[in-house]
Amino acid sequence: MGIATFLHGAGFTGSGERYLDSVVGIEATADGSVRVLVSSTEFGQGTNTVLCQIAAEALGIPYEYVSIAQADTTIVPNSGPTVASRTAMIVGNLVRSAAIGLRQTLQSDGTLGEAYTADEFVDACRKHVAKRGVLRSLARYSSPEGIYWDDVRYKGEAYAAYAWAVYIAEISVDLTTYSVKVQDFVALQEIGKVLHPVLAKGQIIGGVAQAIGLALYEKVLWQDGRMLNGQMTNYIMPASCDLPLIRVIFEEIGNPHGAYGAKGIGELPMDGPAPAIVNAVVDALGIDFDSVPLLPEEILAVMNSHSIATTDSVPAESSR
Amino acid sequence: MSPQPGPAKQKILLAVNGAPRTIHAFPMARLLDVLREDLDLTGTKEGCSEGECGSCSILLDGVLVNSCLIPALQATGSNIVTIEGLANDDHLHPLQKAFLECGAAQCGICTPGMILAAVHLFEKTPKPSIEEIREGLSGNLCRCTGYLQIFEAVEKASRNEVAD
Repeated sequence: MGIATFLHGAGFTGSGERYLDSVVGIEATADGSVRVLVSSTEFGQGTNTVLCQIAAEALGIPYEYVSIAQADTTIVPNSGPTVASRTAMIVGNLVRSAAIGLRQTLQSDGTLGEAYTADEFVDACRKHVAKRGVLRSLARYSSPEGIYWDDVRYKGEAYAAYAWAVYIAEISVDLTTYSVKVQDFVALQEIGKVLHPVLAKGQIIGGVAQAIGLALYEKVLWQDGRMLNGQMTNYIMPASCDLPLIRVIFEEIGNPHGAYGAKGIGELPMDGPAPAIVNAVVDALGIDFDSVPLLPEEILAVMNSHSIATTDSVPAESSR
Repeated sequence: MSPQPGPAKQKILLAVNGAPRTIHAFPMARLLDVLREDLDLTGTKEGCSEGECGSCSILLDGVLVNSCLIPALQATGSNIVTIEGLANDDHLHPLQKAFLECGAAQCGICTPGMILAAVHLFEKTPKPSIEEIREGLSGNLCRCTGYLQIFEAVEKASRNEVAD
């Protein structure tokens, strides 16, 4: 068994978010529904879903009333790239600010009361758009107070928030083939706030699976600047029979700089599995390993060199 | 020796998702391309293009095949089912619903092939165990999900627990 404890900073490092200067928009449409305007791109991780959830929550309207525009910068502002575990936390928080701005616009000109129903909100949007032609609210990133990075001395707070995790791997080593199999895996993390339980779990399981590949299977070979084994037949990634049950547990302490307390989780699950698995192999075999992936041939080579060293030490021991 | 004449396009008759179709394709055209380009059925995805990843899985006369490896001529007279053949108008197949509910699809490239592999599994084993699900989907690679939510979806669909 092996354990890894680790953390992952969310958002761009150092002054990165300040330089990105992201802008997010939200607009009311003529039919009274609202549309989130971001350049953050959905590729299966659930960005569209969680950003619409955040907007709906901030506006106090059903999720079904919120849509998201195509991430095309001719129609959306630049909310920065979809990287660095930043979308739920940084862009999400800007979506929330923009949504609050839209609501306040409707409330300040008297179109919408302090307390309102979803139907009243839709009606207010329709009226405003009919009268003024457009209702759009923008929010621009500003550095959180008390978080400062010094670009000259390269010191300070590198991230506004960190996700924290403990991963545990239970493995077996086949002493005939020297292959390692992960038998059980527990992934516990504190991510501030789980915005969508199914999607958050999917991010963790998928990341752990990919990192099990990093730990045990996926060896990139280079020749003359090109990848030598760039095929599914010789670059081995985990298939359906290769993975253990991955038990995902979330803790939610919150985060004042993220939407509803969220921190980034996209990259986090790539960090922990390899050290946990290598520690488990060290625990099982009593030999240190210092590289990944632990392919059978690597384990065999290390075990052979170790057994030679052990054999060499036998006369010295027996002479005592 | 005079140069060999190049292959000519041939008329191929087949049934796709229950409808008879006629195509004109080179004999060695990949069935994957015929489906996507000639028949406009872009639900079938191209992954590795070498028969390893299972993204382009379809059912050909009830057999699960990688359509990137099937020459068009070989499909003559066959009965093909693609992902487009599963939903009935707006009514999704139970597997499709279960995939949505369980978060079994992320980027979506493996999803059509995964679902067809599960359809194929159900034909042999209507109530598969988790080991049988793992085995049944072992020809289909997924990089996003880590598979577990896919297994959950297949299990859910097999137990008829998908809400309408």
